[in-house]
Amino acid sequence: MTAFTGIPYNTLVVAAAVAVVGCAAGVVGCFGVLRRRALAGDAASHATLAGVVAAFLVTGRRDLPTLLLGAFVAAVASLGCLVAIRRFTRTRDDAATAIVLSVSFGIGIVLLSGLSARGIPGAGGLEQFLLGHTAALTVADAITLAIVSLAVVLVVCLGLKEATLVSFDPAFAAATGWPVLLIDYALVALVAAMVVVGLPAAGAVLVTALVVIPPVAARQWTDRVPTMLVLAGTLGCAAAVGGVAASALVPRLATGPTIVLVAALLFAVSFFVAPERGWFARRLRHER
Amino acid sequence: MTSSAGVWGEFSAMHGWAIATAAVVAAGCALVGTLLVVRRMSLLGDAIGHAVLPGIVIAVLAGGRPGGLLVLVGAVAAALVTVLLVQVLRREGGLADDAGTGVAFTTLFALGVVLVTAAASRIDLDPGCILYGILELVPFDTVTIGGLEVPRAFLTGAIVLGLVTLGLAATWKAQLFTAFDTDAARAVGVPVGLVTAGLLAATALVTVASFEAVGAILVVAMLVVPAATAELLVRRLHTMAIVAMLVGVAAAALGYLAAWRFDTSAAGMIAVVLGLAYLLAALLAPEDGVIARLVSRMALAWRVTCEDTLALLWRADEAGAAAAALHAPGDWVAVAWLTARGRIARDAGRWSLTAIGRTEAETVVRSHRLWEAWLGRHADLPLDHLHPPAEWIEHHLGADLRRRIEADVGIEEGDPHGRTIPREP
Repeated sequence: MTAFTGIPYNTLVVAAAVAVVGCAAGVVGCFGVLRRRALAGDAASHATLAGVVAAFLVTGRRDLPTLLLGAFVAAVASLGCLVAIRRFTRTRDDAATAIVLSVSFGIGIVLLSGLSARGIPGAGGLEQFLLGHTAALTVADAITLAIVSLAVVLVVCLGLKEATLVSFDPAFAAATGWPVLLIDYALVALVAAMVVVGLPAAGAVLVTALVVIPPVAARQWTDRVPTMLVLAGTLGCAAAVGGVAASALVPRLATGPTIVLVAALLFAVSFFVAPERGWFARRLRHER
Repeated sequence: MTSSAGVWGEFSAMHGWAIATAAVVAAGCALVGTLLVVRRMSLLGDAIGHAVLPGIVIAVLAGGRPGGLLVLVGAVAAALVTVLLVQVLRREGGLADDAGTGVAFTTLFALGVVLVTAAASRIDLDPGCILYGILELVPFDTVTIGGLEVPRAFLTGAIVLGLVTLGLAATWKAQLFTAFDTDAARAVGVPVGLVTAGLLAATALVTVASFEAVGAILVVAMLVVPAATAELLVRRLHTMAIVAMLVGVAAAALGYLAAWRFDTSAAGMIAVVLGLAYLLAALLAPEDGVIARLVSRMALAWRVTCEDTLALLWRADEAGAAAAALHAPGDWVAVAWLTARGRIARDAGRWSLTAIGRTEAETVVRSHRLWEAWLGRHADLPLDHLHPPAEWIEHHLGADLRRRIEADVGIEEGDPHGRTIPREP
């Protein structure tokens, strides 16, 4: 069954699902960026590799939901480590992020290399989670990813007022009785969830770009949160579609890095031509 | 079991070279990382670790050899481009540093991966090697110096370690000044921009020297974790640098051996060992460790309980009560302890202070009442507000401070409640 000439049904469904994932990641990432936590997602994303391999080791299964559940547990655990380091040691936030990121990735690499050295059957293919490989997705997997993405976006939309308040004025929110810490953790957990959902598309090393670059690009165009969310979603969606298409057309082009490069291109355009904050607009104002 | 002595000799020489390579790059990273960590620039190390990739790949495509000079130059250039990019994004686009870093390094890393995969047939780099290095293969790529076959990566690592050590040692004072008070350093004429640029160049150098051994991401562990571990253990910057280098070298050797034992990635295992070292330091550090702080907090709580028990008995005596009111169940542990230490004794069905216990109790009560008297004179607090602060500070006043308060308020009039202030025992 082919919808368009030459493009298999499977590829189309996967591309559509990745587009939904990219869109959702852009929307959810807005709050990470606004809250100045852009790199917490990076720590979580590097940790997911350990979660994927550990899930395979523990359950012996390699279906996508099992592996991604493991990834989510690892992502949340890594964020827990970040919080614990902040709470119990003198180590500052930047070093804490770098520690969690690199050590958790080291654990993932140790598990992955150990598995492949022992030639355990079924372990092959796990390394696709390093850089992402959408061609390996089945239709059912792709639909699952899309549904989870939509659910995460729905949660964000329902909590839009709270999330906005906590992102811009946590002190005021706390003073008026909102559970700021709870909302904060919920937002970080949602970002972690999107990092996990984006994992098959972009891979552990680069998936953080899905939740950082589209929001940062969208921020250039607007000062209003709803507009920013819609724009970030659109840009994330465009980057995903562009990346999947390019990697399908060009042989040996890994999907993850290609999506990131398309997103970076969209960011570059936003950076230069956005009406208020854009580089040209700023230059023109200086001239006057 | 067919290993002959000759094979074994070759075998251990190979491991020896791999460990030596890991050790020199770890030492260089730890030294530079110390400055990055105290200057809160850890994530720049992360960014540079990712971003040197396109520089390396382009240099290799242009004909450079991995570990050669051209590749070194390409990597340093890519690192400086990253730093510039983050600065431009902040200055021209108003981007927060974390957002700018996130955009810059993911983009450059993605570019590097795409270049590697696109040119895989023409160049000798594979994506796995980029991410987690090939320390195990380092001993097989050698150059001959004075008849001795030395792994190229070891040679690069050792030269870079030497350069970075010399450079940082020569500018150590300026680095230290800039790290702890940038504005003051600038004011007295330290070329802060140059100092920072030098640090970034050093970061790029050690990163690219480590790249072949441990890969783009695990180099971050070598940069940041030893320094963060050392920071928990010691206070002075140069001690911190030395401890960080020792931690880095030890983790490199241990990690390599553990990886060999468990048959897995050496670079990954080095990162894991570094993580364990940090965890141990966080738990066991003599002053700041979680356990040390827990112990000192519990010790304080225990001392407060004991002193409160003694003071309770002393006040009961003062009031002439028949029996001290020792109901609270927690108190009985303290009572048993104080009895064993000869501070209190049970005598005909009631508790009383021994001579030494009385002295200690008087010190506590004296501190309490002196503080109330001092607050009453100087702080203009109502009478019923004097007790709570005194109840806390009675455990913390030293003999010297008590004497000075006594000299200020005098003890003849007693405390504001009209009770006698005991003399210094």
